[in-house]
Amino acid sequence: MTTMATPKQSAPMLQAQDYNPKSESVTAKRVKSLVFHMVALGLTAVVLYPALWMVASAFKPNAEIGGANTSLWSNNFSFDNFVTAMDGIGGVSTLQFFTNSLVLAVGAVVGTILSASVSAYAFARIKFPGRSVLFGMMIATLLLPFHVVIIPQYIVFQQLGLVDTYVPLLIGKFLAADAFFVFLMVQFMRNLPAELDEAARIDGAGHVRIFCSIMLPLMKPALISTSIFSFIWSWNDFLGPLLYLNTPEKYPLPLALRLFVDQTQSSDYGAMIAMSVLALLPVLVFFLVFQRYIVEGVSTQGLKG
Amino acid sequence: MINRRNFLTTVAIGTASAAALAACGSPAPSQTGSAENPVTINYTWWGNDDRAERTRKAIALFEEKNKDIKVNGNFTDFAGYWQKRATEAAGGGLPDVMQWDLSYMRDYGQRNQLLDLGTVKINTDAFDKSLLPSGQIRGKTYGIPTSTNAFAVYYDPAKLASLGIAEPDGTWTYKEYNDFLTEVGAKGNGALFGGTDYTGVWWMFNIWLRQNNTEAFTEDGKLGFTKDHLKKWWNQTAALRGTPAIVSEERVTQLAPKSPFGSNVSVTEVTWDNFMAAYLGDSGAKELKLVPVPSDDKDNLGLFLKPSMLMVASAKTKYKDAAARFIDFMVNDPEVGQIFKTSRGVPASKTQRDGTTFEGTDKLVVDYEKSIEKYLKDAPEPPIVGFGTLEASFKRISSDLNYGKLTIDGAADAWFKEAEDLIKQNA
Repeated sequence: MTTMATPKQSAPMLQAQDYNPKSESVTAKRVKSLVFHMVALGLTAVVLYPALWMVASAFKPNAEIGGANTSLWSNNFSFDNFVTAMDGIGGVSTLQFFTNSLVLAVGAVVGTILSASVSAYAFARIKFPGRSVLFGMMIATLLLPFHVVIIPQYIVFQQLGLVDTYVPLLIGKFLAADAFFVFLMVQFMRNLPAELDEAARIDGAGHVRIFCSIMLPLMKPALISTSIFSFIWSWNDFLGPLLYLNTPEKYPLPLALRLFVDQTQSSDYGAMIAMSVLALLPVLVFFLVFQRYIVEGVSTQGLKG
Repeated sequence: MINRRNFLTTVAIGTASAAALAACGSPAPSQTGSAENPVTINYTWWGNDDRAERTRKAIALFEEKNKDIKVNGNFTDFAGYWQKRATEAAGGGLPDVMQWDLSYMRDYGQRNQLLDLGTVKINTDAFDKSLLPSGQIRGKTYGIPTSTNAFAVYYDPAKLASLGIAEPDGTWTYKEYNDFLTEVGAKGNGALFGGTDYTGVWWMFNIWLRQNNTEAFTEDGKLGFTKDHLKKWWNQTAALRGTPAIVSEERVTQLAPKSPFGSNVSVTEVTWDNFMAAYLGDSGAKELKLVPVPSDDKDNLGLFLKPSMLMVASAKTKYKDAAARFIDFMVNDPEVGQIFKTSRGVPASKTQRDGTTFEGTDKLVVDYEKSIEKYLKDAPEPPIVGFGTLEASFKRISSDLNYGKLTIDGAADAWFKEAEDLIKQNA
């Protein structure tokens, strides 16, 4: 007991002499914050280095990219790579690739939003026979690797004569084939209070009305997360367009990017990197505009209700 | 509200009728076209912007000369190209005419995906007879080479001059080549190295086997050499590993995807002669030169012409005749040679080669192939199925050897195990 009592006695003594808890805690906080920021900045630098490398390389001549060249800065700074990149490939302009990517991405966003929200409403709010079985099956498709279905799917679209159109790439989005998004919305909707629909029902609203006037506005965060993810996934998708599109005029950006690097011939790394930088811009803008919603969308999913 | 059961029935009927309609299909189109009503064939190739431009010109020329055929051209990059072909082959939708690579020849040929070009009219009189077997499997011709390449040692004359080393003349034994690499490494002072470890290059090994009158693969698709061959081969540079004669494996990995030679780190490199443009582009060098590979038997260099690419047709094409005419045009027409120059490799057909004027680096490559003409032997048959995997594992295991992770005996055991498993799997 005596040992425990000693510090208790010494503490007020210190305080009385020169101990100022306020000023020390401020200093400690400052040091802590400084250390935290240094570490955070250091980590950011490490994480962002590839991006910096990419942007720097976009302005270098081809012979100075990669290989034995480690410096970020080049004395031969130029915009030539961007000029080559914007020239297009094999008579197809780069603008065309951008347009194609945009059409596919916007199509994917619209399709996913429309179909996934309706399906999610059915799963979350309507009791119908076999609902849990169907829901389980839908979740099971999440576990099915895409590569397993490539060939059967290709045969179906080939037989229907839909290869070399955007239909195979978009139809799934309009039919709520992306189980992940349906699941995301179902979880979100389950957390919305059921009293809201019940109140609407008493006022005489049917499913359509409840969905449009009650659910959709409340689901904004989930809708926005879905839009952002499906935009970025579609923008970056390589395999789908590779398999289903034949005409270069219909290619989206990821396919075009690969055409600059050909190991069997000369590779124009400069132009490829310049085009990568350009291809990144729309995604970056999209993200910057919607980023506060993405955080909101993901973080409120467990809290609402 | 839509009645669910009705809705499902509607969907089911709709799907069924769509499938039925598709199955009926349109009446079989006629096999030949006319100027008023041309047939359209699909042609697909891999390659960059430059090849796309050149191919478009060639197609335009073909359509002008053949008013009854339209060619619809598509292209992707090399890696994507084969993913796409594999899916199409499974789905039965391969394009009519395709640019092809030797390493995929046997795989698709054996599975009857490719048209037997012996059944259609393509003129091969102007081809070197040693070259044609590379497009044939069990006597049937599935591919016609468009162009050739040959193995060579590249060197950078400017760098040799700066080190005060005389340029090689290409008549050298392996010992002389090793001495040359050692000299470059010693004078290079840590900044320049002799070359990459040439024993890690499958084709160089294959050539060495040919120099020793051994086949890499037997006719029935088995290995034609023994573990002792491989050990002896990997021992060739045992004394050079870890010295500046050879670029260290760490460095090679750091430099990827560029090669040490393209990154101005080494002075020589052994590879195919069609890499010239790529090396010039990567390194920014003004001039690079080619000499034959080393051999301990000065009359047998083991060299051969390999098709750098071939033209094939789909077995299921509806327009065999049009496809054949297009292939014939692409491989034989002198004007096509004038369009492509050496960007596909040196034109394989003599009519096309003679009709093309070569300048600058193009001429260097053509002259090199001319200079080794007297050493050329029959090209090997298309490599076995899964050859790409074998080649990659050869490179990987040899790189482990350079890292010091494996002994030569261990490396030979490891590769043989992988090779035998793979051959068994595909048998």
